[in-house]
Amino acid sequence: MKKLFVLLLILPLLSFTLHKYYVALTEIEYREDTQSVQMIMNVFMDDIELAINKDHNTNLKIATKNELKSIDEHFYKYLKTHFKVIINNEEKAYKFIGKEYDGNIVYFYLEIENVSLPKSIKIENDILVDHFPDQQNLIKASVKKERKSLFLSSDNYKGLLNF
Amino acid sequence: MRKYSTLLFSALFVSASLFAQEAPKKERQQGHTDQNKFRQLKDVLATPNDQRTASGAPGHAYTQQKVDYVMNLRLDEATDRLYGDEDITYHNNSKDHLEYLWLQLDQNMRAPDSKSPLAESKGATGFQTPDKFVSENMDKPKAFGFNIEAVKYADGRDLPHTINRTMMRINLPKPLAPGEVFKFRIKWNYLINNSVEDGGRSGFESFPDGNKNYTIAQFFPRLCVYNNVEGWQNMQFWGRSEWALEFGDYDVKITVPADHVLDATGELQNEKEVLNKEQRKRFEKARKSFKNPVFIVTQKEAEENEKQGTTKTKTWHFKANQVRDFAFASSRKYIWDAMAVNINGKTVMALSLYPKEGNPLWEEHSTRVVANTLEEYSKMTFDYPYSKAVSVHAKRQGMEYPMICFNYGRPNPDGTYSDRVKNGMIGVITHEVGHNFFPMIVNSDERQWTWMDEGLNSFVEILAELDYDPNFNTGNLPKDIVRYMSLDQNKLSPIMSQGDYVHNFGPNAYTKPAAGLYMLRQTIMGPELFDYAFRTYSKRWMFKHPTPADFFRTMEDASGMDLDWFWRGWFYTTDYTDIGIKEVKPLYLTNKPNKETKKLQQQYPSYFAQLGKLVYLTTDKEDADKSEVEAYIKGLSSDKKASLKDIPNYMYQVEFEKPGGLVMPIIVELTYADGTKKRETFPAQIWKKNEHKVYRVFTSSQEIKSIVVDPDLETADIDTSNNSWPKQTTNKFDAFKNKAKN
Repeated sequence: MKKLFVLLLILPLLSFTLHKYYVALTEIEYREDTQSVQMIMNVFMDDIELAINKDHNTNLKIATKNELKSIDEHFYKYLKTHFKVIINNEEKAYKFIGKEYDGNIVYFYLEIENVSLPKSIKIENDILVDHFPDQQNLIKASVKKERKSLFLSSDNYKGLLNF
Repeated sequence: MRKYSTLLFSALFVSASLFAQEAPKKERQQGHTDQNKFRQLKDVLATPNDQRTASGAPGHAYTQQKVDYVMNLRLDEATDRLYGDEDITYHNNSKDHLEYLWLQLDQNMRAPDSKSPLAESKGATGFQTPDKFVSENMDKPKAFGFNIEAVKYADGRDLPHTINRTMMRINLPKPLAPGEVFKFRIKWNYLINNSVEDGGRSGFESFPDGNKNYTIAQFFPRLCVYNNVEGWQNMQFWGRSEWALEFGDYDVKITVPADHVLDATGELQNEKEVLNKEQRKRFEKARKSFKNPVFIVTQKEAEENEKQGTTKTKTWHFKANQVRDFAFASSRKYIWDAMAVNINGKTVMALSLYPKEGNPLWEEHSTRVVANTLEEYSKMTFDYPYSKAVSVHAKRQGMEYPMICFNYGRPNPDGTYSDRVKNGMIGVITHEVGHNFFPMIVNSDERQWTWMDEGLNSFVEILAELDYDPNFNTGNLPKDIVRYMSLDQNKLSPIMSQGDYVHNFGPNAYTKPAAGLYMLRQTIMGPELFDYAFRTYSKRWMFKHPTPADFFRTMEDASGMDLDWFWRGWFYTTDYTDIGIKEVKPLYLTNKPNKETKKLQQQYPSYFAQLGKLVYLTTDKEDADKSEVEAYIKGLSSDKKASLKDIPNYMYQVEFEKPGGLVMPIIVELTYADGTKKRETFPAQIWKKNEHKVYRVFTSSQEIKSIVVDPDLETADIDTSNNSWPKQTTNKFDAFKNKAKN
């Protein structure tokens, strides 16, 4: 249904849009020196705004003068629901360090503290998938210089990386 | 002599494996065809002929059909139906006898029996809003699609025809000979779609006060292109890939409610009948106003006008010569402003139509953006040949037609708007007005090759937007395509794919070709060579039908650059750029041969004897010794000595790696001990013999502190973690965290 809606109603209108594809990238790095997992996720601003506005029944007004004061709480709440990190078979809570805007993209900085060397990182990521069936969520992780990546999507939103 | 010693140096550090390679292989390898990244495209591109030359120009035998239309249209606002009487004159300029003619019936794409929805794979979704569930499962399909009332000869007899979904074949009584003209008429009507609810590039928007904004296009049966590449364009309109059309002359009368303001493709013929005296006076003023738009209808007047409605009608009459299509916009809500634009001494009008809902954004920017677009595109291509360009406000559309386009960008109800809404509106107007050049004039076939107009247009759009606002986020630069090019390969299609089946249509057909052309201009060819070739292509194919090969060939032919490797990589594959630094070895000048050289000297004594004295390079700092070179310099003439550069104290051999499939220039930035920087660029051809690794030696009188590949992100490198030596240690995360703390 969604797909048909998107394909038939949205696409024929788009002789032009700011962006016309659906992807979010999360870079995950384990830092031995601080025993922490640092994560930077980038998403398209329009998409995350639409998703949170609908799911939280709010109006974020991202990157405007009238931006919602509690916007970070909305971001954090949305991420906690749709992005989970399981390290060595244990789900880890992450802190919301902050966000940064660059053009049409939002960067989220997330950190998990006190983590011993990950042997496995499992990701559950269905960010934006409810609203954009074509959404792809890319994961790039590095542990002790070993780099691995995952391509997650609506029909395949979980993935396991062994290091 | 010099050549030999160079060879030896390279043998020393690069091909230490030379001996290993000579070891006999157990199995004989299979042969291979030419897979070099620089092999020519000749076996991929169509063979040149006398209609399309090898230089990329139209050939001496190039012909093109012409189709003229005379139409009487009537818009019935009460029922949202458009009625048309259409007289068509088809000029067969080809050398072929045509047994039939084909027309496009675009409205049938949304007819109840359309195959477009059936051609989508569609599983169940877990959740749905009730209104969507009802409309999907319980609504009767709306009666969209053409109602073809009559197809007749010019003399009124019925003309046999066959409708095949979005196309209609006129079965000619006898083949139309070369040079002959065929006249016929079609009478039709159709139910106009609500473009906000039903979707669509054209249609109407209904406002809460009951008024409507009609943006009408693809509204009449239009002749398909017949040429020497496709024969008749015979691919159905599925909804995505747009169209190819013939040029011709239009004479169109449009009857709408008397209180509507209307504009369309072409020149208004009956100004006195449809505009009042004051409006005509204001128009005269606008024709001389090159700095600021002049209101033809003010917001106050528009707000007054939209209050009542009327049953009376008014007929607007337009003529347009040498256009490939016709569109119009009509509403009683319109504010109307206009200004003059100087295109190389010729005055062209930039205009905008928008309801009060578009303000204050539209009165500030729309017409000015139209003017800027005409100026900037004219610089890159040819002088804009038409008399005007109109930007019409629409809620969700961004769609182009000759001289008129429909653009989104609506402020909040209280008139406020974010920078994103403003930039989106400036971007879409630049883009859609820019389409006047590609494909309205340089008339490529969008049904086959979306990128030829979307990509070229998005490229020129970058330059026009940056001219309007130097800080504009165009979203079409090489760095902007990196995310797309990093996607899983099964979500990517080569640019050279037909539009209906490509994945990620937007970045595929808009951003990637635009970013590629920007890269060609800024990084690979340079603006001077690029612009001359790009302008040559635009001028050669003005009012004609170019193919991809015509573009590729012209860009090479007019610039004196072989770009086959670029077309092949960027346009024909889904390969990506990833170039990095594998290893950096400091080298020192010495008098001592190393082990490998000693071995060679023993192996080939007579060869080395004839070389005489030699100097060597070593990685061993202790062996550094410049005395031999210094002694040699001492023996030179004083003139020669004075012309020499300083003896290099520091030398570095850099091994570049290329995990990505694309070949690209290597742009290197060296940072010296004293903080100064130097750029060196090696052309893509450096990869011609080995596409996995190449070497360069950098010499300097002072220490080199760091080396960075592609420092300005010009080549769409998808992984920059290997672009620096020494490896970047500054961490983006830590930097942000520290900033956030403070």
